[in-house]
Amino acid sequence: MDPYLVSVLSNIGMISFIALSAYLLLLTGEISFGQQAYFAISAYGSGIATAMWGWPFWAGLLWGATLAGLAATLVAIPTLRLRGLYFSIATLAFAEMVRLVFEIFTYQVEIDGELVGPDGSDGFRDIRYIYDSNVTAFEYMLVIYGLLALVLIGFFVLERARLGSVFRMIGEDPMLTEMQGLNATAYKVLAAAMAGVIAGIGGGLYAHLTTYVEPKIFNVMLGVHSLAYGLIGGLGTALGPLLGVGIDIGFLESIRAISGYRMIVFGGLVAVLLIIRPRGILDEATVHWLRRRWRRWIHAQD
Amino acid sequence: MVDFIQNCLDGVMVGSSYALLAIGFTLIFGVMRRLNLSYGPSIMLGAFVGTLVYLEFQMGGFAVAVATVIGAVLAGIYVERLCFWAIRQGAAVASMVSSFAIWMQLEEIVTVFFPERTYPFPPLADRTAIEIGPFFLKLENLIMFACAAGLTVLLQVLLYRTRFGLALRAVSENPRAARFMGINIGRVTFWAFALASALGGVAAYLIIGTDAQITPLFGLWATFKGLIAMMLGGMGSIPGAILGGLLLGVVEAQSTWYLGTEYRDLAAYALLFLFLVFRPGGLMGQVAAERERAALRRV
Amino acid sequence: MLEVQDVVTAYGKIEALKGVTLRVGEGQITCLLGPNGAGKTTLMLTITGILKPRRGSVRFHDKDITGQAPGGIVRAGIALVPENRLVFPEMTVAENLRAGAYSRTGSAASEIANDMEAMYNRFPRLRERSTQMAGTLSGGEQQMLSVARALMARPKLLLMDEPSLGLAPMIVEEIFQIVRDLHKDGTSIFLVEQNAHMALQVAHHFYLLEQGRVTFDGTPGEMAEDEVIQRAYLGTRQTA
Repeated sequence: MDPYLVSVLSNIGMISFIALSAYLLLLTGEISFGQQAYFAISAYGSGIATAMWGWPFWAGLLWGATLAGLAATLVAIPTLRLRGLYFSIATLAFAEMVRLVFEIFTYQVEIDGELVGPDGSDGFRDIRYIYDSNVTAFEYMLVIYGLLALVLIGFFVLERARLGSVFRMIGEDPMLTEMQGLNATAYKVLAAAMAGVIAGIGGGLYAHLTTYVEPKIFNVMLGVHSLAYGLIGGLGTALGPLLGVGIDIGFLESIRAISGYRMIVFGGLVAVLLIIRPRGILDEATVHWLRRRWRRWIHAQD
Repeated sequence: MVDFIQNCLDGVMVGSSYALLAIGFTLIFGVMRRLNLSYGPSIMLGAFVGTLVYLEFQMGGFAVAVATVIGAVLAGIYVERLCFWAIRQGAAVASMVSSFAIWMQLEEIVTVFFPERTYPFPPLADRTAIEIGPFFLKLENLIMFACAAGLTVLLQVLLYRTRFGLALRAVSENPRAARFMGINIGRVTFWAFALASALGGVAAYLIIGTDAQITPLFGLWATFKGLIAMMLGGMGSIPGAILGGLLLGVVEAQSTWYLGTEYRDLAAYALLFLFLVFRPGGLMGQVAAERERAALRRV
Repeated sequence: MLEVQDVVTAYGKIEALKGVTLRVGEGQITCLLGPNGAGKTTLMLTITGILKPRRGSVRFHDKDITGQAPGGIVRAGIALVPENRLVFPEMTVAENLRAGAYSRTGSAASEIANDMEAMYNRFPRLRERSTQMAGTLSGGEQQMLSVARALMARPKLLLMDEPSLGLAPMIVEEIFQIVRDLHKDGTSIFLVEQNAHMALQVAHHFYLLEQGRVTFDGTPGEMAEDEVIQRAYLGTRQTA
């Protein structure tokens, strides 16, 4: 496969994790500007585990995602009492705090005569596990998409399970949910923890692909983008955020003719799209319609 | 102690510009109950129009300020039409994401026309300082503070002494009732946007004038300073926006002095986070937040 | 003076009004009864121009006002006392009154000041509280403010959407006294009520709205005799 294509696809895959993370919270009606915090925590956490402590890749990734999930839970407990915009701004404040802490966070050890580890604003170099283990870029892409597929399967199971409908119900009307005897806040904390883990998987994968992370990558732009992907692609299905990522990174990045004006075109497109479809391309009604068509088609085959 | 007071003075001076940004934010939020992320970038575009006038026509001071305000108002109106007016009332998230998309767009438009990134801007005043006892006040900061204070008084008159002000406050308190009075909400929203953008334009001129240079990053900076100051003071409250701006300025000045520059933003965000968790209504909005919560309980 | 002709108003696909025809006579108190969800508020919103009817017309003083902007309809002489009062809680009582006169672009400031004075004379309690925030008033006082605010537009026809809702019986009595006084001073009133007993004491003509249709049209005498209404709205103690 063409190396350029592999790198674009890998990028799409990794960003999809954080987009799905923001999407999961959107389902429960919460807008988070701060999922990049968990992406960052896991990128650093898993990087430290493999590059500095000599852990194997999978253990490092698991460790990073766990850290991200824990952090997300700890943040969710005090902030999810807040409603609407207050929650959104709290997530933003937390994510910026995380970024600024990484700007000053230094923790280095000497390995083979070289200092390895996060060095404040200079970032964290040499997270070389994948290259040292001779994993090719193509194989790593398969790892990314394998994990993404697992997460997506999780989403599809969720959509059909009771938990998924509780999440959507909270998003529609938290009061109604409470009146049915369900603790909406507890469910939201659960959703936030899951979203943290999902972002964490993406962050760990990211650190090992690029071998180098620096705090400024995890700025609020990443967070708002990941939120926007869900809304562009549509809130009706977990494929929506993926479509959003695909449109931005895959489609627009590949059109060279608009390279210098990409954001002018993209910004305008998104603005117009949201006028026509305020809940994205694959919104609930469209997904419902597609499902019906699909079922009818299956029946016709029988 | 002298240091602490000096920091407070500096903080209040700089904070007065944050207060202007926060007032702009709060005006828009008040009438729409939606967040305009593109607020900073649209006044940044205005400031680049000012830069253009400064560089191309060699005009200074007042002309640049006027150009900045006009540019900011036009950009603000563009945002209002595309991201708020055109998107139906209920879709607050769509409006917000749309305003983010336009943010990206405005930033790229500026970088296409101004590829060097950093450009000179007419300085607000000579770099002189006024000595009062053991304290120093920079002349440019004093001018900024005086202008911000003057504008706030003007705004107060506009809001409490004019028909438009009455309509604007009615819409932010209860849009439904305002419509029964025959108030045209769309028109009030439009002019509130224009007013907020004009205030933002002045703030941009004052802030960039003290730096004597401008980059496209100003958009992001202004959005976040305004947003933090508004949240600290309490959403939708103008006295809150002023207090929030001043508090933010003082906290930044103190943390820079005692902890170092790298802790300045960290302190600001930490303060915001603590406020949100323990006092979500901000300095002034607590009453409103309590009432809202009580109303929710009643249902 | 107000003629509603075959009006259909819909929210998306759901028709809340399915062809409503009624008229409000000059100098009269006309009352609209009906259960929750019958479309009473929708009708009010349609008359005031906030909702656009899909079909039919609204005429006021023989002029077609269908689909006009709310501001134009207020200027034409129709003001609404909304359901749940909806005062501006963080504005003073005086400012609330001034907001009521918002559409009177032609009036001089002194004229509006005179009218405010007249409101304070009519509702002395509002004068006492003129510099207080409206949100601090009691429910009954807020209802008075809401009525006074609507009157500040100098309406020829006053629409009142459930003015007795959620108020103590004593206050309800007071509100209906206000309705009588206003009528005596020559204001035509279109009253939406659930409290049929109170309405019977003041109204000259009744309509019953059910599921978006007018199902009864008659005088108070006819209404008191109608068996269905008897049971549903006036209700004897045994059935209640």
